[in-house]
Amino acid sequence: MINATDIINLSLIGSTIRLATPLILAAIGGLYSERAGIINIALEGIMLSGAFTGAAIAAKTGSPWLGLIAALLAGLAVALVHAVACIKYRADQVVIGTAINILFLGVPALFSKAFFGSSGSTPQLEIEQRLPNFLIYIAFLIVPFTYFVLFYTRFGLRLRMVGESPEAADTGGVNVEKMRYMAVLISGLLAAAAGAYLAIGQNSLFTRNMTAGRGYIALAALILGNWHPVKTLLACLFFGLAEAISIRMQGVVDIPNQFIQMVPYILTMIVLAGFIGRVHPPKAIGQPYVKERR
Amino acid sequence: MRRLILISILAIIVFTGCTGVFSRDEEPGKIRVGIVYDIGGKDDRSFNAAAWEGVKRARDQMGIKLRDAEPGDPTSLEPSLRAFAELKYDLVIGVGFAQSPVIEQVAKDYPNVNFAIIDGFVLLPNVSPLLFKEHEGSFLVGMIAASKSTSGKLGFVGGMDIPLIHKFAKGYEEGAKYVNPNIQIMENYVGITDSAWNNPSKGKELAKNQYDNGCDVVFHAAGNSGMGVFDAAEETKKLAIGVDSNQNAIKPGYVLTSMLKRVDVAVYSIIQDIVEKRFKSGIHVYGLENEGVDFAIDDNNRALIPPDLIEKVKQAKAEIIAGKIKVTNAMEK
Repeated sequence: MINATDIINLSLIGSTIRLATPLILAAIGGLYSERAGIINIALEGIMLSGAFTGAAIAAKTGSPWLGLIAALLAGLAVALVHAVACIKYRADQVVIGTAINILFLGVPALFSKAFFGSSGSTPQLEIEQRLPNFLIYIAFLIVPFTYFVLFYTRFGLRLRMVGESPEAADTGGVNVEKMRYMAVLISGLLAAAAGAYLAIGQNSLFTRNMTAGRGYIALAALILGNWHPVKTLLACLFFGLAEAISIRMQGVVDIPNQFIQMVPYILTMIVLAGFIGRVHPPKAIGQPYVKERR
Repeated sequence: MRRLILISILAIIVFTGCTGVFSRDEEPGKIRVGIVYDIGGKDDRSFNAAAWEGVKRARDQMGIKLRDAEPGDPTSLEPSLRAFAELKYDLVIGVGFAQSPVIEQVAKDYPNVNFAIIDGFVLLPNVSPLLFKEHEGSFLVGMIAASKSTSGKLGFVGGMDIPLIHKFAKGYEEGAKYVNPNIQIMENYVGITDSAWNNPSKGKELAKNQYDNGCDVVFHAAGNSGMGVFDAAEETKKLAIGVDSNQNAIKPGYVLTSMLKRVDVAVYSIIQDIVEKRFKSGIHVYGLENEGVDFAIDDNNRALIPPDLIEKVKQAKAEIIAGKIKVTNAMEK
């Protein structure tokens, strides 16, 4: 009774791309940070900050472009907090990241109260007040761009160096702290763009915790993609496809909905458990760099 | 020494914080009502918003002292409910089925505090469950959807995949089949955890998929995730049906109607019972007969629904009330 074309058809591709776009932006953002040795578990929180700021400013000004700019600035600000705590004060990167994520479950509620008298959501935008699809193109262009930057530019070489061996980079005259700051800030920009896509590109408002764990899935995609831009893109597309298929399988295939919704996560665990290849994280990831260690 | 200072500072903060709460609530003579919302939050423009509407009206008209709590995650439901009970509030309202086990616990611990729970089935001498016949209201919007559909295909987007939401889906389906026995219905759910109420992106994808598959009307019962359904309707120039609150104004022209679940009425009248000292525990049921559920007609959607269809639906409504049409309650086996 089930037609394969009910599930696998042209709209599946569109759906996959739409669902993968926020993951790609956030995961590539995470890639910059982690390649430089800073774990960025705060992607979820940065996405939320971008999504809220974008939706709030777009609603206030009526311009999605101002919303996007504001979202990027918010992402930069949050990333800067993460960077200062992790780089300058050498705090535990996972703890700081988690703290940021928890903080941004509450911060939008606080500000939405002040701006809109609501408790965590923003007014709905008109269709013409939303961003056109261009963030989708950005997401797909950022991947080859990142590949080029990472492997064919001096900046990329230095970025990878401070993530693999900060001592060697330092000895070679690379400013480790500066590289790491830049990397974390870039990841803030991209994760905030992912949030803005959710709030004012794909949807027309911010609602509480609307990222629904996409920041963590982006992180999983980054690990799945072995911190390589192209493989990370493929991992994001895989997650997008898995969700798109699960949407199409619901009610069509006679499998309990609960099980269908588990599929992407089970696949992630299988992959992360090492059944398919091994993961090679940057060597100095998670370690603060102290200049005069030895 | 340092630690000792730190601890004493903390103790002072905690202590003054608590007394702050206590003293702020010392307003003798005023009826105090505490309400704890569901994960969707009070401005979900839907279910919780309806409850908020009710308590606000009660506050403005009856002069009660109102305090509310919006839990960020399910684990903070209990402390919020307990805090109100501890402060001996006259009525503590829990919004949403997810609070039933917690209300049951807390109500047992505070037998002298009155509780009300919306959508939850808790039978205790100090708890009043407020239940709705969602299936009946959904039947009516199902009739409207099927009458407007030209493709013979309808969609349903539920929030969390739970029996309560199946009740909406089943009533909708029966209403649609009452008009057109051959109609097909695609039934999808956003998720299986509480985040399903706050995931408009997923709601939009589900609705888009249904519209792509030929559905021309999609009914959502998905809280904030339903906002994505409205966006999908607008983008594909098709129709959506709102839920709980009157959502006709969210996207005028694309919202066919809304299945009203008058949580506001239920909340208001239970507060009134408290104020007039005639609170009774036990189940309160809101159906078509007491306007607890209904379909919404206003200036935003009048152009979408022809008058003879309204007549037809009103007739079916009367027949359901009279018991001539039986709508299946998916929660009763």
